[in-house]
Amino acid sequence: MFTIRACYSFLNGFPFVQENYMKVAISAEDTTLGAPVSRRFGVSPYLIIVDLDTGEWEAVRNPGSSGKRGAGVEAIVLVISKGVNAVVTGYCSPPIRKHLESNGVDVFTGLSGTVEDAVGIYRKGEIQKKQEFESNALDRWSFLRAGTITNAFKSSGNQFATMLPILFSVVLLMGLVNALVPGELLASLFSGSALFDTLWGACLGSILAGNPVNSYVIGGELLKQGVSLFAVTALIITWVTVGLVQLPAEMAALGRRFALVRNAVCFILAVPIALMTVVILNVVTG
Amino acid sequence: MTRGIGQETKGRRSLKRIGLSLGSVVVFYGAMYTLAPDTALTALKASAKISLALCLPLSLVFSVMFLLNLFVRPAQIAGVFSRNTGMKGMLLSAAAGIISMGPIFAWYPLMKKMREEGAGEGPIAVFLYNRAVKPFLLPVMIAYFGWTYVALVTILTILGSIVLGYSMNAVSGD
Repeated sequence: MFTIRACYSFLNGFPFVQENYMKVAISAEDTTLGAPVSRRFGVSPYLIIVDLDTGEWEAVRNPGSSGKRGAGVEAIVLVISKGVNAVVTGYCSPPIRKHLESNGVDVFTGLSGTVEDAVGIYRKGEIQKKQEFESNALDRWSFLRAGTITNAFKSSGNQFATMLPILFSVVLLMGLVNALVPGELLASLFSGSALFDTLWGACLGSILAGNPVNSYVIGGELLKQGVSLFAVTALIITWVTVGLVQLPAEMAALGRRFALVRNAVCFILAVPIALMTVVILNVVTG
Repeated sequence: MTRGIGQETKGRRSLKRIGLSLGSVVVFYGAMYTLAPDTALTALKASAKISLALCLPLSLVFSVMFLLNLFVRPAQIAGVFSRNTGMKGMLLSAAAGIISMGPIFAWYPLMKKMREEGAGEGPIAVFLYNRAVKPFLLPVMIAYFGWTYVALVTILTILGSIVLGYSMNAVSGD
């Protein structure tokens, strides 16, 4: 199965091989190996990650313990980012199990006692044998299973269905622009100067936001109306890279300085990228 | 990846907003039809022409989306995303940004977590910048602008993201 993990291994210079559960995450009530195994993986206070090869272990706070909405997702991301191959716990909810298994992390439930006991049981392979039939996430051909294909189809359908109404609105609006606004008027908003048009397009793209496909439709239609390719290119680039609408959310998540500097640099970068794109295109296409 | 876990309320709100956007355009068309039927019909014909032109690219978009959903597990993007501020880290973060899907604000919590765990500002900025390169939307872009233009924009956007990454590293001192 081609996965990002395989890609990551390749980029790191290692051939991707099926791992034999080197790292195990156990849900725990405390930060020691003597701590009781926490009954629920998603909301356990800690995860103890044990490297079975070296015997090294670390206790990390489970971001899912906050119980906030989406906290379970953070627990999944943590497990994956730590390179864990198997989760051992008392109980794991079906959605979290599904997401972990689809990311190549096996889930073993029904464990109690201390973390040390759980590691011992796991090492002996007792739970592995018991649940082997369930644990097929590392199956090379798992993507060919009907469930996986159906899920991929459903996910694509949902993403597509979410994209279509706005895209359809944009198409209807562009129809109105075509009918109501003469091409000459639109073109007159742009001076014909490469630099000015690029800046103007970049400003528009920074203010507008949404799915990039909308910027392609708007840009393509503006181009047909006589707007310069410099402006359209700058609009397309800044549509995603600069986000004035999302700026408050970005500042809240990543910090004020980061958000302001990133957006400013992205705006500045859009100008040479747009200019170079059109100039090189003109050279290539004659 | 995050779909289906505690996102219902947000999803419904988003659907409502989408419905309102489309609804208001339809109402506007209705009002225009009563005032200037000829202009409304011209606008509708222009929209139909645009829609027809989009049919083939959109069917390709769906196909590429399906393949990405089948082979790429978005949660594993966390595994590709690199904390390394060197060129390798930048390239891995660029790859993660290109294959990521969904609205940008959905990725802020993960980026915040990566930042807290020591990821440099450069790789985070590179990830966010490369969300402008969307393989599954390329059919629409190619339909409007052609292969050469799309290839140029894509290459220059990725190169630009590396420049951005190093700029962010320089500013933050990472």
